[in-house]
Order: sequence, then structure tokens, then C-alpha cells
Amino acid sequence: MRADSTLAILDRWGRAALPGTVLLFFVLLTLAPLRAPYLSDALPLLPILVVFQFSLATPERLPGPLLVLMGILLDLLLGGPGAPVGISALGFILVRAAVIGNRRYLVGVPFLFQWIGFCILCWGYVALVWAFTTLWMWTAIDPVPAMLQYIVVIVIYPLLAPLLARVRARDPLNVPELSRGSARPGETST
Amino acid sequence: MAIRDDFEVVASQVRTVVQRFALGLLVIVTFGVMLVGKADTVLVEHARVLALDMVSPVLEAIARPVAYANRAIADLREFASLREENARLREENARLLAWQTAARRLENENVGLRSLARFREGPEASFITARLVGDSVSAYMRGALLNVGRRVGVAAGQAVVTGEGLAGRIAEVGENSSRVLFVTDVNSRLPVLVERTRERAILAGDNSPRLRLTLLPSIAGVQTGDRIITSGHGGSFPVGIPVGEVVEATDGSVRVRPFTDFSRLEFVRVVDYGVTGLAGTGMPAPVAAPPGVRVR
Repeated sequence: MRADSTLAILDRWGRAALPGTVLLFFVLLTLAPLRAPYLSDALPLLPILVVFQFSLATPERLPGPLLVLMGILLDLLLGGPGAPVGISALGFILVRAAVIGNRRYLVGVPFLFQWIGFCILCWGYVALVWAFTTLWMWTAIDPVPAMLQYIVVIVIYPLLAPLLARVRARDPLNVPELSRGSARPGETST
Repeated sequence: MAIRDDFEVVASQVRTVVQRFALGLLVIVTFGVMLVGKADTVLVEHARVLALDMVSPVLEAIARPVAYANRAIADLREFASLREENARLREENARLLAWQTAARRLENENVGLRSLARFREGPEASFITARLVGDSVSAYMRGALLNVGRRVGVAAGQAVVTGEGLAGRIAEVGENSSRVLFVTDVNSRLPVLVERTRERAILAGDNSPRLRLTLLPSIAGVQTGDRIITSGHGGSFPVGIPVGEVVEATDGSVRVRPFTDFSRLEFVRVVDYGVTGLAGTGMPAPVAAPPGVRVR
């Protein structure tokens, strides 16, 4: 164990804090009055994109409890009266779990397949949130805005994901111990 | 040595168990949070307000450059149609001047008649101007965050208006921030009048850009183009704020287009009408302080 210089410590802390900070920024950005005219009233679900991409790149730096906190914050800030608080958190951790569970396949494949993976998972997330909110508030909520949000975010994915993917850990195999998810050394596919 | 090994074995076992059930635990936690939110709405309200107050300075910092950029884009777009716009405005100005004359005459007449009849005016409304610092627009909610709060006299239930008409009402108030619920939100119910026929109705939002007019005594009396104004029932809203106009009146439903353009809201005014319908808190008259600027 060598003694780390201040700079190295700072570097390590910065690396550790980066995904959480980026997620927080995107959670706040969801509320910023950036309006894409003619497209949709609601801003795309950028936080879910960040969750997906970082769960793929460095899940150990975006732990589940942090995602729960971020999801609750997002719900508190966005939600109207009666909307369930914590549903985004549930969606986030389920997406993280799904990504980690399929990490071995998702990491190696070409970008297009990652995109398809994102499309599927994001669909699950949107459907979950919509169904839950509808049941929770017991009113028929128009699913069209949610669908528009979904379409916008999957179109944005190729623009944003390569940028976010650059935070990958600097590791010889690029797969640190904790990031392997459920895979054990020597384990083949289940 | 053996103890240490044992300890390590146990620790690794615990770690494995925690890792295996981490997802389940987290799912239980989120469900717990949701249930708490359902059971204790006051607590959630407090948490919302706290979160709002914490992030509103950050949001304001983000909102400013965004507003500048939006305005620059709008400016560019307007340059293209400057000439026609000018002609249109000149024409409108001429028409409005005629209206102004009529309004002055009517106001004088009103004052005279009021003094004759000893008519008591309702409470005087004052305005708090606020900047929109955040959208609270999702697939399930239509609203916005304002940079004014309890400190300048904003209270839940107050009307939020723009130059064009009513935008919504204050739903939550923090110390320096508040949340507006737009009239288009699915939770919004507004007592209104049809201006021409003076019929009362309830204007309900459903998250779409069009509002629904419900509980109307007779649908037959409503025509396309009728203006809808607030009726003042419920006490917290002044009477006669324009809300929208009827764009579709078929047998089953009456659809209303709000006058406010929610896609380019930047500043709004919170109408402090003296009495708030929701539980009078008996708040002392607050002193004007930035950023909320009281007019009148």
C-alpha cells in the first residue's frame, strides 16, 4: 500500500463521486424549464438514461441506496399532490438490477444492442411508473405523454450515452470485481 | 488467528447474504416509502417543501441562462416576421385605443353608480411577481416551481395569473419557493362562469392542453368562442379572471383552450386576494422583499 498524494486522493474521490453527481445534475435538469417546443411538454427521462449507462459502466460507483435517494428526490420534486413518492426509486433499482444481471452480455456487444437493451428496460420503467401511478391515484391517466417521453429519451440515448460511457473504470480488464454483478469467477452462463 | 479466520468467514457470509438480498431490501424500502407517503401526507408535504427550498437556488441558476437562450431563439424567430407583426400591432393598437376610451367612460360611470348605491367592493388584490425557476411537468403532472414563498406572502390556494389569464393555483409553499398547479393538471378543479350566459360550471384539467367543462347546467347554451372566467366561488380567487375560451362544444363534452401559453411561461403573478379559501392561517401582512415584488 503506497502513500497516496493529495492529488491521487482527490482523483479517487472525484471518480467515486462522479456518477452520483451526474445523476443528481440530471435529476435537477429534469425540472429546469428547458422546453422543446412542439415536441412534448415533459422533459425526457434523462435520469433513467444516466442510471442505465452508469449501471453498465461502473455499477459499484452508483450503489442501490444512492439510487433510492435520487429516485425519492426526483419524485418529491416532480410529483404533484397524490402522486406516489418512491416509484422512480423502485424503477431505478430495478433497472440497475436488470443491467447488472445482464452485464456480461451488455458490456461486450456493439452499441446498437446496448441501445436495444436500453429501449426494452426503459419501456419497462415507463410502463411500471405509469401503471403504478394510475393505480395509486385511481384515475385514468392519459398514457400518450408518457409514451412521448419514452420515445424522446430513446432517441436521445445515442447522443448522450457515449459521453456518459467515458467514465468507465480504468482497469486492465475494465471490469472491476464489484462490477461483475452476479458472475463468479469461472462461472459460465446460467 | 483462527478467530480472525472465523470472523472473516462470517463477514463474507454476511456480505454474500446482504448482496443477495440487497435488491429485495431496496424494493421493500421503496415500497415502505410509498406507503408512508400514502399514509402520512403531511410528512410528504414537508419533505416536498424542504426539497423545493433546497434545490430552488440551484434551479434558479440553471433557469436563467436557459431563459436567455429561449428568449434569444424566440427573438430570432420574431425577426423574420417583424414587418407583419408591426402592421398587426398598429391595427390592434388602434382598436384597443377605442376600447380604452370606452373603458374610461364605463369606469367613471361605475364609480358614480357605486357611490350612489353604496356598493362595497371585495377585498383589494395585490400581486407578487415571480419567476418560474423550474418545470414540474411530467407525464403525470402539470405545474411549475416559483422563486417566491411564504416569506413574501405566498400561500396555498392563491391564484397564479399571467397577462393572458389564469395559469393555476399555488399548491405547495416553502420558505422561498412554491409550486403552482396549472389549470391543465389532472387534479385541477376550478369554479368558473361562462361569461356570456353567466352559467356556473367546473373547469377540470386532464393533463392535456384542453380543459374540460363539467357540471354545466345546460350544455346547449354554450357556443364555440365563449369566454370562460373564474367565478370567485370558494373565496380564494378574484372574480372574472379570464381562463380560456370554448373551442369545442358537442353534445357530450365542452372543451376549453386556456388563454395562457404554458410552453413559454417565464414570469407569473401570484394574486394575493386577502382571503385564502384554504384554512385562513391568519398570516400578518408581509413586507415586500426581493425577489417577490409587490405591485399596487
